[in-house]
Amino acid sequence: MNFLSLHRRIERHTGLLIFGILVVSSIGGLVQVLPIVLDDSHSMPARGVVPYSPLELEGRDIYIRESCSTCHTQQVRPLLAEVKRYGPYSRAGEFAYDRPFLWGSKRTGPDLARVGGKYSDAWHHVHMTDPRAVVPASIMPAYPWLAKRKADEGGTIEARMRTLRRLGHPYSDADIAAAPAALEGRTELDAVTAYLQSLGRSMQGEPEP
Amino acid sequence: MKYADRIVTAFTACAMIWAVLGMMAGVYVAAELVWPTIDFGQPALSFGRLRTLHTTLVLFGFGVSALIGTAFYSVQRTSHVRLFAPGLAWFVFYAWQLTIVLGGASVMAGWNAGKEYAELEWPFDIAIAIAWVAFAVVFFGTIGRRRMEAIYISNWFYGALIIVVAMLHIVNSLALPATIGKSYSLFAGAQDAIVQWWYGHNAVGFLLTGGFLGMLYYFLPKQAEQPIWSYRLSIVAFWAFVYTYIWAGPHHLHYHAVPEWVQSLGMVMSLILLAPSWATMVNGIMTVSAASKKLRSDPALKFIVLSLAFYGLATFEGPMLAIKSVNVFSHFTEWTIGHVHSGALGWNALITFGTFYFLVPRLAGAPLYSAKLANIHFWLALAGVMLYVLAMWGAGVSQGVLWLSLDQLGEVRFSFNDVMAAMKPYYALRFIAGLLFLSGALLMAVNLARTFAGRRTVEVAPPAGHRAGAPA
Amino acid sequence: MPVRFSIASLSTVLFRPKAVFEALAAAEPSAAKVFFGFALWIGLLPAVFAYIGTVNFGWRLGVEPVFLPQRTVFAISVAYFLALLLGFLSSAVIARWMAVTYDASQSLGRCYALMAIVGAPLAVGSVIHLYPHVFINVLVLVPTLIWSMYLLYRGLPVVLQTGPNRGMLMASALIAYLLVAAVSLLGITVALWGSGLGPLIGN
Repeated sequence: MNFLSLHRRIERHTGLLIFGILVVSSIGGLVQVLPIVLDDSHSMPARGVVPYSPLELEGRDIYIRESCSTCHTQQVRPLLAEVKRYGPYSRAGEFAYDRPFLWGSKRTGPDLARVGGKYSDAWHHVHMTDPRAVVPASIMPAYPWLAKRKADEGGTIEARMRTLRRLGHPYSDADIAAAPAALEGRTELDAVTAYLQSLGRSMQGEPEP
Repeated sequence: MKYADRIVTAFTACAMIWAVLGMMAGVYVAAELVWPTIDFGQPALSFGRLRTLHTTLVLFGFGVSALIGTAFYSVQRTSHVRLFAPGLAWFVFYAWQLTIVLGGASVMAGWNAGKEYAELEWPFDIAIAIAWVAFAVVFFGTIGRRRMEAIYISNWFYGALIIVVAMLHIVNSLALPATIGKSYSLFAGAQDAIVQWWYGHNAVGFLLTGGFLGMLYYFLPKQAEQPIWSYRLSIVAFWAFVYTYIWAGPHHLHYHAVPEWVQSLGMVMSLILLAPSWATMVNGIMTVSAASKKLRSDPALKFIVLSLAFYGLATFEGPMLAIKSVNVFSHFTEWTIGHVHSGALGWNALITFGTFYFLVPRLAGAPLYSAKLANIHFWLALAGVMLYVLAMWGAGVSQGVLWLSLDQLGEVRFSFNDVMAAMKPYYALRFIAGLLFLSGALLMAVNLARTFAGRRTVEVAPPAGHRAGAPA
Repeated sequence: MPVRFSIASLSTVLFRPKAVFEALAAAEPSAAKVFFGFALWIGLLPAVFAYIGTVNFGWRLGVEPVFLPQRTVFAISVAYFLALLLGFLSSAVIARWMAVTYDASQSLGRCYALMAIVGAPLAVGSVIHLYPHVFINVLVLVPTLIWSMYLLYRGLPVVLQTGPNRGMLMASALIAYLLVAAVSLLGITVALWGSGLGPLIGN
């Protein structure tokens, strides 16, 4: 039976057509996606990489809420100019606790993978509240509401950490129980700043290329 | 027994509404890149949220509504039977539109799963899955009941859309809910990236390409009053397409923290993909070129034919951008955005517009209200796309080259801020391009509404006697 | 009106294209006359303007102007001219190749003439290269391009005698070719730059 006659059979049978499409379209994923997903080396945390603290986690979830990845990437490519500009290139192990990954696909604003420690907390506070106060030509939207909102207003930090623990993040019971207290008196702006300051910290101290 | 066409009208109307709303959101975010303070300090109007609203409305509101509507129209006529389970089809309609309305609102409220083109959170993922299964049941049920021996080619493509998108959606949405509006992805980091772009690229492949090829394979021969130029070519192209597209995902991850082999494999398969993509384009062009000289020149055909030109561009540019030495410059820049929109506007929107200009008069039983308006729309659309693409090519290549430039001491030559500031004029051009395109779409909405206002009751029955194996 | 394809008729081509289209439909020009009398000369304009502009003002991509060595600018200008030449010749030849499918005139001279008319606004608009600011060039040349596309849709059915519907189909097919050619040029340029065959922007 050649290809054409096989197709003739398939196009006369709904079930065969469905099955055929399913089989043919699965192959790529089985070869490319499955081995990587099953290979723990891609999800092994690199040295110095720890799960996000409650404040950092809250900040990260706000980063996702405001869709910051739309304009900011978190992936330094192993290209000379990029490494010169941002710092050491990104390794897989740095992202072991990133659910979901936030590598981004567009750099309207600068890459943030190594932004931790580059600016003071105060700078971030001013920048997030009014970007043009520190970068006159900036087109970044202002986020004045972050300073006005309490961190974790919905009181869901424990539920979120428990869910992450079920997915493999090593949070202890004590960690989770202490989380609400860690967020006490903090604003969303504090949380986002803490998150940004955590980016790239595991690679700090790497020698220049 | 008559064809169930009121549901097609419903989907078509909603598709136009989402097109206009989604493009308005797009124009607004384009404006925000020029005037960043026009969100007036309101979280719901903030760029990040509105951009997500834009993609959600145009892809899943406009795109999917157009696909389901045209699928239901064409599957009946290519099977010579009335739609299977029309009640279930109406469930699909209401479930889908409700998902878009509520999902769009959720995005503005800040619900975001954090993955591109899959931002709707887990309750919506479940709703989408349910609606999609119902869509599959109605569609394949109709085919199963057909009075034609062979399943016509447009149905293979719509079928592939349904099956592959189901597979992609289920796997990529795998997550554990923490609260009603927040879940965490099953996959993390590099593994999540691989899954996301297997999903993301194939959402483009099977929703934006495959599904709309289904539209092409039915509506183009209908308008040209010609059969498809080469049946054999369409078979080979279909299976090669379904097989190859899936592998192209990793071209979104060149020079990223994923294995080298998967990047290279993604690149090679993206290049190979050019063949089945263009095979279909050639099939379309040759089909329509055989159209009778006496065929009345109407705007619908102009739109569909031009869409093939942009299909050719986009399916050539894609593999080209997947080549690592080009990707080095293009990645993360406006060039990618230009590529997206040459496809989304030049191919998807244009073929849908052409199809709707053809379809709505038939649904309404009345001629198109104004061919002149449609012709104006044609030029507004073409001008809009060309301005968009060229502005983004100019911006993107500038960005890519400037970011990578080193000075004589081997240090970075241009600061990020300087390059960013240089982009502003291009953003202004893109805003104008969007306005042009949107204004064309508004003219169309008015034109179609007026056409429908003049409707007469139309009921079409499947043909009584027919040759088995021939399409409708 | 006899068609004389020389630079002197440029203003007619730009401002009274309809008359030129009809004249071309009636009398078949010689491909060589179109090329050597008209197309070659207007095709030189973009490269010459680009050379003068770059040498005097440098490339302006929105940051500090980039000045390149004169030899490099000359090489780039020559390459630009050759690319345009290739584009013009290939479009005309492809139009000729498509003629059978669309029942169009198979006169290579008419194809050359049509593509020359279509390219004329862009050739004249390329005067903006005298100030090589990328954005300004995009701003001027995109509307010019739309005008060129309009001339293609208007002129092809008349010049190549296809009738309105087939003419529209063939024009769209040519646009497909032109879009792909344009993006290929972009990709090839960028890939060559990356491999070292290109100007050093940073220096």
